[in-house]
Amino acid sequence: MKTIPTLREKKRYLAFEVMSEKTINRQDLVREILNSMMSIYGDKGATEINPSLMSFDGKFGILRCEREKRVETRAGLACINNIHGIRISILVLGISGTIKGATEKFIQQTLVNKPELGKK
Amino acid sequence: MSLFGSKFYDFFTHPDDPALMAIEGKRYGYSGIAVMGHDKNEKTIMPDDFSIYRGVEIQAKPSRIREEIKKYRDSHHILIVKGGEDEINRAAVETEGLDILVHPLEFNNVLAKAASDNSVSIGFNLGLLIRLRGEARVRELKTMRINLKHARKYKLKLILTSDAHSIYDLRAPREMVAISSLFGMTEHEAIDAMSATPLNILRRKSLDYIQEGIEVI
Repeated sequence: MKTIPTLREKKRYLAFEVMSEKTINRQDLVREILNSMMSIYGDKGATEINPSLMSFDGKFGILRCEREKRVETRAGLACINNIHGIRISILVLGISGTIKGATEKFIQQTLVNKPELGKK
Repeated sequence: MSLFGSKFYDFFTHPDDPALMAIEGKRYGYSGIAVMGHDKNEKTIMPDDFSIYRGVEIQAKPSRIREEIKKYRDSHHILIVKGGEDEINRAAVETEGLDILVHPLEFNNVLAKAASDNSVSIGFNLGLLIRLRGEARVRELKTMRINLKHARKYKLKLILTSDAHSIYDLRAPREMVAISSLFGMTEHEAIDAMSATPLNILRRKSLDYIQEGIEVI
């Protein structure tokens, strides 16, 4: 059941892009994100960050985290280097308060701008 | 955040393909990278407003480091020594003309004083934190904490580097700030370490520069 607004978690959505040698599946990415955060901040820190992957299509994704823990989440994502020997790097495109905002502002923008990257 | 409006540089990379690294670097938000020991800079096609600088990583026995630094001092390349044991660090910081000492182990107050006299910047190799896990990373974080403490006390210039060998090792400036917070660096220090310090080194390397306070106009 929904709780009252003041008791709800304050959350932020990170739009990110994955660069990897081969495409990776959702399950591996979720495991690696949690693994990386637990390695840096421990079990206690990972629960405080409360990361959860909202969507991921092999290239772009949206990760939910706690509002006050944006920097920690970034650090956790940045420390991911390889998954089962496939080299990978994650670039955070931007942070928004809603899933819709994150998708429209950052992921669609990147897709629109991409063909122009070569020309500019 | 207006803090991220400045130009960012990464001064310690070893890419196999500088052109690809340049394209990715620009997309990540960098204005320039320094490539170690790569001669074919002129031929690589670069995106607009992005520059590749040439760096020299000096690898030699502690007794040879002084001579090596003197050899390259006037070449307008960025001189970097990868720190290690006490002897290497000492030889590096005590020689005038070195720009960056990356990740020295067993750093102490004597070395920090010498580094401040010769205006050597202390580099933090964040690539280690990205690549390592567990016990090994704990060791590196501890070293970085000690280095940061000494650098603050003696007002040394800090510099953040990624030590990237491929595009997968590169991280965007905001991510670099987040990683550097793991060993206690503040946001301001981290941003200065990626923009102000590299710009200062570039100014010193420019052809017009003669000495601190003297310049050809």
